[in-house]
Amino acid sequence: MKIRSSGSNVPNVDMTPMIDIVFQLIAFFMVITNFEQNQADERVRLPRDHLARPPEVKRENSFTLNLGFRRDRDTGAITDPEPRLFFGTDEVLVEDSESRLRQEAQFYEAMDVDLAEVTVEIRSDGDVSTGVVQELIRKCQEVRARQQSADGFQRFALRANQKIE
Amino acid sequence: MKLRSRYPSADKIESQMTPMIDIVFQLLVFFMLTLKLIEPEGDFSINMPLGRPMEATVTDAELQPIKVRLEADPQTGELHNLRFNDRDLGAGPEVFQVLNAEINKVVLALQNVGPANAENGADMQEVELDPDFELNYKYVISAISSCSGRLTAEGTTIPLLNRIKFAQIREKEQ
Repeated sequence: MKIRSSGSNVPNVDMTPMIDIVFQLIAFFMVITNFEQNQADERVRLPRDHLARPPEVKRENSFTLNLGFRRDRDTGAITDPEPRLFFGTDEVLVEDSESRLRQEAQFYEAMDVDLAEVTVEIRSDGDVSTGVVQELIRKCQEVRARQQSADGFQRFALRANQKIE
Repeated sequence: MKLRSRYPSADKIESQMTPMIDIVFQLLVFFMLTLKLIEPEGDFSINMPLGRPMEATVTDAELQPIKVRLEADPQTGELHNLRFNDRDLGAGPEVFQVLNAEINKVVLALQNVGPANAENGADMQEVELDPDFELNYKYVISAISSCSGRLTAEGTTIPLLNRIKFAQIREKEQ
């Protein structure tokens, strides 16, 4: 008669399918994670357009300005009609943005980059008055890294979401 | 004396999976938490001869810029009227398609001027956008889009004019 052994048998769980799935999930998240648009601010609701397609070649020297409204977190309604520039958690009115823009200009000058070669990408809310966007562009043109600097920023790109139907 | 068995039993080597699974789960959690679903974005380049006298360009001497005037309702910022070279196009839902068709006509005319200008005519032609201060920015994007290209039924883009600039900034209505 065969007697069953009394030793403690640890059941062997096959981990292979789980690891397969987990690796597939990691691969999925790595592929869809967009590290390029980390300067985008969620508070800005960009206008949408069919022709707004991501550029095929990334710009060498560029920085982004986010212009939008304070909005209600739940409803998305505008709580303050005064548009502001968002720098992370800081909010600056366009008329007070000179020092921030000068910092950007000084950064590029320190990197020995001509400001005329730098593109200012403007991410503006679709409901902002165009005059405010124009004021912002004018401030970018007038800003100087130092008093004797020749030019301000010259290249501008207006961003929009790609409309897909 | 203990003799080694001639036919050793095939012992399965147990690799320690726990640290790897720990790391893999941490990676998974990291990517899940940092995931931000952002819609694809594109941009339109624009010139802005504001605050300084306009520099003379080739187009100033040869081609007058196309003027696109965008009038706004000062209270709401909605588009009130679109004017294309002093011709009113209205403000209906199709107005930007009409503008796009007009720009397309201009580009075709420039290409038909002669073989010498076929390449350069459309490249040299400027569009000057003249929006009211209060106009909602989304209409400017629509106008720029209408001037810069045409979307075909197959989904490809036919480029039209790429030299787009703002006119002098308008005063805010009180």
